[in-house]
Amino acid sequence: MTPDRHAIHAFYDTYYATLDDGDLAAWPGLFTEDCLYRVIPRENYEAGRTLSTMQAESRGMLMDRVAGLSGTQVYAPRYYRRFPGPLRITPADGGVRCRHNLLIVQTMIDRQSDIVLVAACHDLLVYDAMQLRLRERIVVFDSEMVPNSLVYPA
Amino acid sequence: MDGMTHSGLTWPPGASIPYWVYTNPDIYAAEMQRIWYGPHWLYVGLEAEIPNVGDYKTTTLGERPVILTRSDAGTVNVVENRCAHRGVKFCQARFGNAPELLCPYHQWMYDLTGALKAVPFRRGVRRQGGMPADFDMGAHGLNRLRTESVNGVIWATFSPDTPPFREYLGERFWAHYCRVYSGRPLEVIGYNRQHIPGNWKLMQENIKDPYHAGLLHVFFVTFGLFRADQKSAVEMDDHGRHGILISRKGEQVENDVTAGMANFKADFTLHDSRILDVVHEFPGEETVGMITVFPSVVLQQQVNSLTTRQIIPKGPGGFDFVWTHFGYADDTAEMRLRRTRQANLFGPSGYVSMDDGEVIAFSQQGFEHAPDEAAIVEMGGRDVGNTDHMVTETAIRGMYGYWRRVMGL
Repeated sequence: MTPDRHAIHAFYDTYYATLDDGDLAAWPGLFTEDCLYRVIPRENYEAGRTLSTMQAESRGMLMDRVAGLSGTQVYAPRYYRRFPGPLRITPADGGVRCRHNLLIVQTMIDRQSDIVLVAACHDLLVYDAMQLRLRERIVVFDSEMVPNSLVYPA
Repeated sequence: MDGMTHSGLTWPPGASIPYWVYTNPDIYAAEMQRIWYGPHWLYVGLEAEIPNVGDYKTTTLGERPVILTRSDAGTVNVVENRCAHRGVKFCQARFGNAPELLCPYHQWMYDLTGALKAVPFRRGVRRQGGMPADFDMGAHGLNRLRTESVNGVIWATFSPDTPPFREYLGERFWAHYCRVYSGRPLEVIGYNRQHIPGNWKLMQENIKDPYHAGLLHVFFVTFGLFRADQKSAVEMDDHGRHGILISRKGEQVENDVTAGMANFKADFTLHDSRILDVVHEFPGEETVGMITVFPSVVLQQQVNSLTTRQIIPKGPGGFDFVWTHFGYADDTAEMRLRRTRQANLFGPSGYVSMDDGEVIAFSQQGFEHAPDEAAIVEMGGRDVGNTDHMVTETAIRGMYGYWRRVMGL
């Protein structure tokens, strides 16, 4: 089954609303059980290296990322808001590849908002138990110098 | 201090650190001269980053841009990235390969060792202009730094007075250094770059302070990677400037140590534990060796995660922090994947390192408007000495003993 544009747009609306609303617990469910998630500096990606700022190889690892953010890690409170650009959709084995730009703006207490990430997303969306899910999401960021922490997922 | 008045800057009694060391712009300027451009070796990069003749890499030592080049198979050079003619920071790429170094402004050309080789129109054009007849090409090369390549790591110093690198480390630290940097060829697996809004010394202190690691880093403690009850040691060189934390991995257990932690998670389990799939890699029982080489770098070995973490000061209130993650050139694909997985603990999103960047920023926020207040560093006593436990701030005291001698304060 090949998803149509409407279904793909609806998926991304849900994906970004889930993260912007801070509903981290729902985020891993938007990926297939066996998946690949990377937030990776552009210099690593272009050199053919896989070392990532965040990496998960399963939905379980995404759940661990959420558990870390919710329970073990220390960071100043902040909001992230994600601004995805237009989708470039191409057919792929078992689904579609979607490429789009992503801007993430961070707002910390008592501070002006600033850009935390400028990136291109290389996604593979598939139907999994009748649901569209991400089998692969590689977020390649241009940002040369992360403003201290990259806390929440892209 | 030479030519500087420090009225109002007084060092408090006891084992304290006044906050002006982190905030005062005159102190910062003096640190640049006495520490960063003084008799200290600064981390430049890895041999593996410039494997071929003509390869170069740009970076920053202290606040000065430099170029690391390979001029022939066995020779690496570090020169300032500042054209001798008009001061242009002429090399703007991060990495590259070139037969020579060329400033685009007036096309002054240098060889890969920094020697000036060509000045366009030096003899003039149709008998007009040109450089004076006594212009000495040999006297106008790029500023060349003393450089040593030591078991795959390249170091440079601005000062003629710096002792050889091995002597700079001291024999005890030479042995620690050679554990990971044995001469076995290294391979870069990727980078992370972040700006941390805190004074550069806070990063040195963070790694010299095992007291925090068993408390702040709940993830470490929960999974037994670093706990206050593990057999460990804190050692310094004879000057107190370099430090190492040595420890060994334990288990996820609940006891009197975790009872003292406000946020310990006894029932925390991973859904996918592959990031903790560690293998014993180095001789001895130790699984952690965190070395601070004063002033510029942290050499990290945390289980199978190996990084150099370069400190680039950006004024008193911030520094860039560049992580070079590496393995060995003969790593199996499985080992490379393992190192990549464990990298989730480190860098700007790391399960443990994010805590450090955030807390360093909080520290600077606390100091900024209270320069005459002071930090207490009395954990483990008020003196300086090596210990066989991690409930101590001795290595922070050791570093400030050295810092005060160098700064004349």
